Amino acid sequence: MREPDPIVFVIDDDELIRDGIKSLLRSIGLRAVSFKSAQDFLLEKRIDAPACLVLDVRMPGLNGLDLQRKLREAQIYLPIIFITGHGDIPMTVRAIKEGATEFLTKPVRGQDLLDAVQKAIALDRERRKKRAELTETRKHFDSLTPREKEVLNLVVAGLLNKQIADQLGTSELTIKTHRARVMEKTRAESLAHLVRMAEALRNAKVE
Amino acid sequence: MTIAQDLRSNSHPMIRYGLAVVLVSLALCLSLSLRVPFGNPFWFFFPVAVIASTWFGGRGPGWVGVFLSTLAVLYYFIPPIRSFAVKPPDVPFFLTFVACELIANWIISWQREAEASLRRARDELEVRVGERTAELKSANDALLNQMAEQKRTEEALQRTRTELARVVRITTMGELTASIAHEVNQPLAAVVANADACVAWLGLESPDLVEARAAARRAIQGATRASEVITRIRSLINKAAPERTPVHLNEIIEETVALVDRQASRNNVAVSLDLMPHLHIVGGDRIQLQQVILNLMINGVEAMSDVSGRQRRLLIRTGMRGADEVIVCVEDTGIGVSTEDIGRLFEPFFTTRSQGIGMGLPISRSIIEAHGGRLWAESTPGQGSVFQFTLPTGGDSAS
Repeated sequence: MREPDPIVFVIDDDELIRDGIKSLLRSIGLRAVSFKSAQDFLLEKRIDAPACLVLDVRMPGLNGLDLQRKLREAQIYLPIIFITGHGDIPMTVRAIKEGATEFLTKPVRGQDLLDAVQKAIALDRERRKKRAELTETRKHFDSLTPREKEVLNLVVAGLLNKQIADQLGTSELTIKTHRARVMEKTRAESLAHLVRMAEALRNAKVE
Repeated sequence: MTIAQDLRSNSHPMIRYGLAVVLVSLALCLSLSLRVPFGNPFWFFFPVAVIASTWFGGRGPGWVGVFLSTLAVLYYFIPPIRSFAVKPPDVPFFLTFVACELIANWIISWQREAEASLRRARDELEVRVGERTAELKSANDALLNQMAEQKRTEEALQRTRTELARVVRITTMGELTASIAHEVNQPLAAVVANADACVAWLGLESPDLVEARAAARRAIQGATRASEVITRIRSLINKAAPERTPVHLNEIIEETVALVDRQASRNNVAVSLDLMPHLHIVGGDRIQLQQVILNLMINGVEAMSDVSGRQRRLLIRTGMRGADEVIVCVEDTGIGVSTEDIGRLFEPFFTTRSQGIGMGLPISRSIIEAHGGRLWAESTPGQGSVFQFTLPTGGDSAS
């Protein structure tokens, strides 16, 4: 499956800046979509592609930081490049704490913006890959029977087949069969791989 | 305190009772030794011993004295001698003796009680007076503290007020500057973004002239907008000028002195006025002119805040310069301005103070010039500065 083309969302209330940035991004062959406000962006249908956000901090209505928070609440993890005027230091600090990817001061140099966008898209691509892997893994793990899940948990906890058999009150041979099924269903290449996948799923749940 | 009081109040009971025993024994010895020369039973020392025991030892030792004396008299002086028996003829004598002793004991005790209660009352009174004095003293202290506190609060309030006035001045200017900066920066950002895009479109292997042109157009729009912002600000400043009414400069100066008075006295600056009577009226914006004068005065006061070793004096003079110009001079004895700095004093954002923003003098100058006058400065570093401005007289305002 070929990955869709990356896309950059530009949100700025100033039409000239919006169009300028969009034009700059298109000139290097990037897809760019612009919005005049954060609200407009939130109304837009989500596109499944590696993406990032170029966001003006100071905007009427919902400002850049508000949008950042809203996206986090909605569990949309898009890398954000903030563009700020002067004298927004406290805002900058807040945005960075909330996980902004990059901070650029107005007027932004074209090359700086392009670099930041490339970096942000690479980051999102990476995150998307991880997410996809995780979804795949979860699907595999969900296909396990309850008994197999029990066996999986004990295997991951580091118990030997014999111990598992004792604990579940069955024969070692049965456990071996279950274990083989678990490895097969989860596409685990080794015990270490299985443990890593189980860990990743558990951490994702905690998050 | 008498010796008796001392004994009674301070001595151990053993000593007081012992004293009674000793006194009675002494009386017995004296009586026995005097029995031979006098012949008759000589018992008069016993009442004395009882009185002394009661007096020095208190009621208890007094009773002991009575008891011992009675035994001694019974044993040694009342026949049959050396026996505790009493013959009927001697009963009246014995009873009289006991009665005497009891009466002596009772009178002395009673007297002592009275004395003690008197003393207690006096002590109590002393304690009460002491307490009352302490109360008065603490009330007085509290009052003094309160007064000091109030004075401190007033001083703090005054400091805050001055500080507030200064902060308002700075923040108003700061906000203005920040919003101007934002207004100008925004279109400049647009210019940069679009110019970058334009360059990028032109730099492609096959340059996209349509996109490049569109970007260049937007860059031009941005630049135009920036220049419009500047024009708007300029017209805003100019627009403020036309308000023209007849203005008595002396009056404004007197009002303004009242405004800076506190700050001046806090800085130990003596403000003096040398105002020409019947000064010509000038035409202008009262508020703006007052702003200029206030600004010059505050500058003067602040220029002297680091001065020591000579008098801090702010002198404001008014007068005529030629027939049709009024002149106002604000002289300080501050640190002065160096020759190289004096030319830059009226440049925006030039300041010699750590907290100044360097807009006061440029604004003042533009106000005076809008009124058809001139504002300039002269200074001798280390001695002080003179800021003066001229304004055309009323003839102008009539036009």
